[in-house]
Formats: sequence, structure tokens, C-alpha cells
Amino acid sequence: MRRDFKRHLDSLGGLYEFSEAVMAERKLPDGVRFPVHLAMEELFVNMVHYNPTVTTDIEVTVTVGDAVTVSLVDNGGVEFDVTTKREVDIDAPLEERKPGGLGVHLVQNLVDTLEYEYQDGRGEVIFTKGSGTDNV
Amino acid sequence: MFEIEMGSGGEVICRGRLDAAQCARAESFLDGLDGASTLDFNELDYISSAGLGILLKTQKRLAGSGAGLKIINVNNHIHDVFRYSGFHTIFDIHAKE
Repeated sequence: MRRDFKRHLDSLGGLYEFSEAVMAERKLPDGVRFPVHLAMEELFVNMVHYNPTVTTDIEVTVTVGDAVTVSLVDNGGVEFDVTTKREVDIDAPLEERKPGGLGVHLVQNLVDTLEYEYQDGRGEVIFTKGSGTDNV
Repeated sequence: MFEIEMGSGGEVICRGRLDAAQCARAESFLDGLDGASTLDFNELDYISSAGLGILLKTQKRLAGSGAGLKIINVNNHIHDVFRYSGFHTIFDIHAKE
């Protein structure tokens, strides 16, 4: 199922309701729904923050098969490869921590597969999360 | 929906979903804390990295005066997010029983 969302943080409520409806209909466990919601938000927010002058909607498609597959398409945005490993020191002491930079790190740890394609101004992120586990 | 308020026992009650769109409300409330504080996550269902950033900012500010945040009743999904973020080493976190 596909829906387009305005490129704004105010869209996050609708984004949650949309994906929750698709996954609840299939009675997927919280252990799948939670990381899907989190990954969708982090990827969507990145597309919003890194392209402040772009006005196109962000296309979101959620499909439930053997796994949940989510696609987010950003037309007109800059290239931002979310599959690139980020340097995140999760063992750093409090005084060395800085807010930010955890979103992609969490996505990379919580989803099963993560792909990114960018061509001619069109960026697409596709991730999957298995539907047979109750663990994050 | 996200709600944050002071509980009757002096703890900060958080409810609902703390996503990037709700962070301004959480930040405004937490900026008013001074000294050691307890956040009760019993009714908090969800937090994203934006919410983690607000918690980290608050923790760093309070640490300047030798205080900090204690976070109680954390559900297993949020607990995993804390663990992946390394927050279990810089916050006093207690899982929901």
C-alpha cells in the first residue's frame, strides 16, 4: 500500500497511523511493528532535514509478505546513502556524547536488510523487517 | 500523541509516542528540571533518536550540577533502543517488571 506524505515533521503522526494500520491488519507482533515505525521515522526525518528547500511529497510504500518491506522515495533530494556505516561510539562517556547521529545507526541495527539507490535526483530507501520474530 | 507532566510523587510521567514532532514539548518540560529527577516511562510506548537527543541534552545539563536522570518502567523495545545507543551506560535505567 502506498501513500504520499508532506515533507514535514507534522506528517509523522499520519506516517505512524498508515504503517500501523497495514501491520495491525496482519496482526504483526510489537517486536516487528516497533522497529518498522522507528526506521520509517528516522529515514523520513532525514529526508526532511537534509532537503529543506525541496517541496515534493515523500512516497511511502508498506508491503507485508514473509517480511515487512518499506520503501521511501525522495524526489529532488540530495544523495544520502543510509547504508554507509557511521562512526558512533556508544561506549563514550557522557561528557563526550553529543545529541544527534544515532538515527541511521539505529536503523542499521534494527532492520534486517537496508538498501539505497540514487539516480537523477531520485533517492529510494528500501528496508525489510522479518515478521516471524517477537524480538527487536 | 505524547504527554508529559509532573506526577504526584514528583516523578515526570511520559505517555504515548515521543517522536521528532513531539520533541519541542518534551524539551520545554525537561528544561525546567533542576536536580536529580525520575522519568516514569510506564506509559511511554515509543521513542526515536530525536527523543534520545532530548534525554541526552538534559542528562548533560544535570550532570553539570552532579545530578542526573533515573528512568523507570522502560518497556523492552525502548530498552533495546537505549542499549543500541549505549544509553544504558550513561543513564540509570530500570526496565518495566
